[in-house]
Amino acid sequence: MKNKILILICVLIFFIGIIGSAFVLFSPKKNNVNIKRDGRVLYSFDLNNTADSELEIPYGDSSNTVEIKDGKIRVKDAECRDQTCVNMGWLSSGSMPIVCLPNHLVIEFADGYDDGVDAVAR
Amino acid sequence: MKAKRLAELSVLTAVSLIIFIVELQIPNPFPIPGIKLGLANIITVFAVYHYRAYEVTMVVGIRLVLGSIFGGNITALIYSASGAVLCLLGMLLLKKIIDEKHIWIASIFGAVLHNTGQIIAAVIVTQTVQIIAYYPFLLVSGCLAGLFTGLCAQLIMPRIKFFKN
Repeated sequence: MKNKILILICVLIFFIGIIGSAFVLFSPKKNNVNIKRDGRVLYSFDLNNTADSELEIPYGDSSNTVEIKDGKIRVKDAECRDQTCVNMGWLSSGSMPIVCLPNHLVIEFADGYDDGVDAVAR
Repeated sequence: MKAKRLAELSVLTAVSLIIFIVELQIPNPFPIPGIKLGLANIITVFAVYHYRAYEVTMVVGIRLVLGSIFGGNITALIYSASGAVLCLLGMLLLKKIIDEKHIWIASIFGAVLHNTGQIIAAVIVTQTVQIIAYYPFLLVSGCLAGLFTGLCAQLIMPRIKFFKN
């Protein structure tokens, strides 16, 4: 009996995970993108009005190269071991950011330009 | 601590370290940090059920530190360590209500807790709450990976007993 309840909890966790994943995958894109490190906004772009470009963002000895092309953004190159951020490809989900954990870099869609001051204060 | 016990724990640590390093060589097909099979946890699950709490903690702690040194990714230590702490606490508690025949259930909870710890660490380290968006994926992969490692542990257990006797 006790085990059945525990199995049920596992199944529940599994389905919550699946529903959550679907929710994250299908959340819509936005136009504005922030590149952040440790909660601070380093760069802010409006993807529709940004020319194709490449941007190198250093972090200590290591760095990430971010590419903006055709209104899309991705990490083109990263000097880290796992290359997770490169493999994530173009930023596509409104709620799932591209994250480079070794270099503490986060690229995410934002609601508007964010220059570090929150909307109310501005 | 008796020499025999010490030797057993050392062997467990060595085996889990080997599994950990072999697993590092398998390329990760999912572009999400934190998703992996976690085969080294087969040993953790086994140890939780056969050794005392502080002994398991030693095995896991040493494996974490050595694993991150050999794997060449010391920054990942903070994520794996916070995951391991939560995972261990959870499984040591679950051990009291789940018997040895249902080790795979404990393993699933362990895996999910491990991922929870990782996400919490990632949110704190990068100070970005949006990272929680990865959590649902980690829940799904944690359930599957936990089930797999749990079943592996269950298969291994009678064989290790055979060697012990």
